[in-house]
Amino acid sequence: MPVITVNGPIGCGSVTIGQAVANELHLDFVDRLVFTEAAKLVGTPVGVLIDKEQRFERFRDRLGRFVQTMLERSAVSGVSGEPYFGRGIETLPPETYMELAGETTATAHKISDQEFIDATTKVVTDLHRKGNVVIIGRGANRILADAPGVIHVGLLAPIDHRVDVIMHRERFDWEEAQSYVEEVDRARLAFVRKFFKVHADEPTLFHMVLNLEKMEAKTAAAVIVHACGDLSP
Amino acid sequence: MFPEVALTGTTREDVGRMAEWLGDGDVNAMWYGLGDDGKPLHHGYSPHLLIDASDEELNLVVDNEDRKIYSVYSQEGDHIGEGQLAIDWPLLEAQLFLLIGRKDLWHHHYGTVAMIRILDEAFETLRLHRVWVDVPEYNEHALQICQHLGFVLEGHMRKSHRKDGEWYDSSTMGLLTEEYARRRDRLMGSPTA
Repeated sequence: MPVITVNGPIGCGSVTIGQAVANELHLDFVDRLVFTEAAKLVGTPVGVLIDKEQRFERFRDRLGRFVQTMLERSAVSGVSGEPYFGRGIETLPPETYMELAGETTATAHKISDQEFIDATTKVVTDLHRKGNVVIIGRGANRILADAPGVIHVGLLAPIDHRVDVIMHRERFDWEEAQSYVEEVDRARLAFVRKFFKVHADEPTLFHMVLNLEKMEAKTAAAVIVHACGDLSP
Repeated sequence: MFPEVALTGTTREDVGRMAEWLGDGDVNAMWYGLGDDGKPLHHGYSPHLLIDASDEELNLVVDNEDRKIYSVYSQEGDHIGEGQLAIDWPLLEAQLFLLIGRKDLWHHHYGTVAMIRILDEAFETLRLHRVWVDVPEYNEHALQICQHLGFVLEGHMRKSHRKDGEWYDSSTMGLLTEEYARRRDRLMGSPTA
């Protein structure tokens, strides 16, 4: 009953590789369903949970460059906080930055960080209990860090490679794709750091890390399938 | 260019045409097949039973806040299919169903345009937050349309759809309101197959 978690920044091919592995091993494949299921547990629109991944980024987008710079350089932002967002933003009352972000859905259905992480953890651990599944991202490799019968796979690729992937996939021009990739990268790092207190791409979190600039997706999938042979039945 | 379609409420005559379409083997093979009673399966109601229902019973089905049923009409005024939104109001989300019953119009972009109209209803009129679909593996064309419209693959489940006694895999795909807003402007200029 193998369980495989696949994590990597946008444009690495996590979904393609995850699907290929699931297909080869006849496993379920779960990506954003983690959040949609967690949303049901807490009775709130899924966007509220996704905002937990992205709200700092949205908030930053709404701030003028001047205000943002002031926050990042001010004494309240501290020196030990997340290097991009700074602690200053986290210390603002949630209502303030949610209102600034203009998220009407989120303001109407607030949930606490603890509710969020509890719901996400329950969905992921339930998936693990059921087994036979490939789980994409969502902190699953941290939630199942020491769980038996699991292989954690990390993916990486240089940003230019990933921008190129997104440019073709989303029909963006290069600048749009680059901006989008950088935005999602920052949000992902902030999400993992906030809720799991680690760097999202820390290699010791994984059984293996594969560079998708140096190998085809099908090769990566084959490596992962082979590694599953190490899991006890 | 895309054809034009319009969404309307559903009449008894529309239900009759749905029953007729679903009675066609090619059409119900792309949908949910036949039930144990040999009648074609459908979502939300059984067309072959609803045709003969009272007006009150009919209205309970076609005028339901939790399950919006839309008849799809072509620019020429022909009834060509049906869309549904099964709404979960506390979560502000809905499962979308669409059947183009006129099989002579398959692969002419009517499905794509009807999906866009239903998504407009979901996100702009009903102010929903997420719309999702559960596409069985045997309906590859539906999968392509959903991908083209920007639906994001959220999960793939083994043997989750039963049709004619066989189990099939299915893909759950979701679209959030902000994702649709980003995608909407690009859609009409690039039709899928």
